[in-house]
Amino acid sequence: MQQQATLHIARPKSALLAIAMPVLTAALLGAVIVYGVGFSPIAAAHNAAHDARHVNVFPCH
Amino acid sequence: MLFRRIVLCALLVGALAGLLVSAVQHWQAIPLIASAEVFEGAAESTEEAAALVTSAHEHDHDHAGGDTHAHDAETWAPDEGTERHVWTAVANILTAIGFGLVLVAAITTWEHLRGRPLASAGTGLAWGAAGWLCVFGLPTLGLPPELPGSVAAPLGDRQAWWLLAAASGAAGLALLAFVRGPLRLAGLAVLVLPFAVGAPHLAGGPFAGYDLEIARQMEALAGPFALATTIATAVQWLALGGLSGWAVGKWVRPALTDWTTTP
Repeated sequence: MQQQATLHIARPKSALLAIAMPVLTAALLGAVIVYGVGFSPIAAAHNAAHDARHVNVFPCH
Repeated sequence: MLFRRIVLCALLVGALAGLLVSAVQHWQAIPLIASAEVFEGAAESTEEAAALVTSAHEHDHDHAGGDTHAHDAETWAPDEGTERHVWTAVANILTAIGFGLVLVAAITTWEHLRGRPLASAGTGLAWGAAGWLCVFGLPTLGLPPELPGSVAAPLGDRQAWWLLAAASGAAGLALLAFVRGPLRLAGLAVLVLPFAVGAPHLAGGPFAGYDLEIARQMEALAGPFALATTIATAVQWLALGGLSGWAVGKWVRPALTDWTTTP
């Protein structure tokens, strides 16, 4: 959404398309990692990250 | 090429910020979790606790022993002490790397679209503050930091609302910061949306189902825990933002200029 919002300010669409793939892939990878640590329902993942989930204020239990 | 640089920057930034926040938590938030766990298990499971507010003390003996977690005893969990602290640090570092990937990608996109060198430790701090607002500030307004043992609405509902609050925060701030004209004001509406929907809560409050005396002691921990998590997450996000801005300026920018000089 960030990309959408900034699209019309400085550069033509091609400028965004030029970096869209690496940037979106990186952001998606980041989201998957955060989900795995903070939201995954797998019990072992929950137990390992239990304190981190509480301190990062992800919903827990 | 660009992807590899973003990932390497996020790994470095996440490792540093994750270690830093683990150290901060170790002396403030983690001791509070340990204190709360003494009481955890003194009440029945979430749903029953909500239903049996008045009779919960009858069940105290069931869980008064070593079972401090309401989880299946069969599943793996780290041993108390060093092993648990190490896993907490690993989880913190992974979380920071995940947030770092999003942050580095966002700052890279911002600098690229504006077409001039903007990424720095200073502008990164502003990005970090925005990130903190999205994943701590706004979600916490609806779902206060939870101590172990506190009872709350079903996990799936809270996770869904948390994601809604974080996504609305990111979309709303982006509209306010980057859009000109009347559409910008829609950002305010997007920011308010999760609160119009309303965060899921139980009627009895977070310590319903506990003995009155235990509930009183747990409530005394809730305030310091909220403060501790606020400080720890703020340190984490300012470190993430500052380091991300600095790293983009130093290592991602050279890969970006390849694109910008040859449009």
